[in-house]
Amino acid sequence: MNTLNLVLAAIGDGRIRGGWGYVWTAYGIAWTGLSLYALSLWARWPREERK
Amino acid sequence: MSKPLRIGFVLLALALLVSGAWIGLAWAPPDREMGHVQRIMYMHVPSAWMALLAATMNFGTCVAYLWKASWKKDAFAEATAEVGLLFGTIAILLGAIWGRPTWGVYWAWDPRLTTMAILLVAYAGYLALRRFVDDPDRRAVWSAVVGIIIAVDVPVVYFSVKWWKSLHQVQSTPKTVDPQMVLALRWNAFAFLAVLIIFLVARYRIALASRMRETTVPDAPSGAREAVV
Repeated sequence: MNTLNLVLAAIGDGRIRGGWGYVWTAYGIAWTGLSLYALSLWARWPREERK
Repeated sequence: MSKPLRIGFVLLALALLVSGAWIGLAWAPPDREMGHVQRIMYMHVPSAWMALLAATMNFGTCVAYLWKASWKKDAFAEATAEVGLLFGTIAILLGAIWGRPTWGVYWAWDPRLTTMAILLVAYAGYLALRRFVDDPDRRAVWSAVVGIIIAVDVPVVYFSVKWWKSLHQVQSTPKTVDPQMVLALRWNAFAFLAVLIIFLVARYRIALASRMRETTVPDAPSGAREAVV
């Protein structure tokens, strides 16, 4: 019975708990990617149109 | 479009992005099985949608260019390829991060992941081709042909989850998920759409200015010069 309980505890209930680190990393990558691309567009913007 | 209107649209896109992040991170409920990691969906799915939308626009523009050549169409095709590659890269990176806690691996040679990776590599090749060909006329024609060939992969990416039952889940519908999740997804989709439009317009203007500089030098081919109106 003890062994069975240990196995069940190791398997868990199949639900993911926590995981905020993954979420923040994903949002960070999305926001950083979009921001860097916006910056690259600004850097490449035609000089004649900046005036 | 006037300058105040352009600034207003950029501010609107920023407001949509910030509020979309709040809705996705704090307002929407966690998934029953995946818990909080499911919140990655609100960035991953809109990114993938925008990548496929940009790829579809690239296909349409390439066909239109071969039908009737103009530097405007060539410049827009370049913009759609680059911006589509950006959103596709974000989508695949976020998918990998989401895959680690749910599938146990960052990457699997699943049909959806593989066909999307092929699409991104193909657009990287398309952009490399544009850099390597100096003659603007030849570059425009060759890249239009390559753009049409790449587009064959777009429906394959979309239907891959239906054609081959695999690790990646099939498309969700509003009937199968919580209404709060539907709203969060749609909100972020509109935010990403606004960003896509801004990026496309800006990149198009950069590309068109570059074409203008190339075609105003004396020995530049004159094929499509008159078509820029």
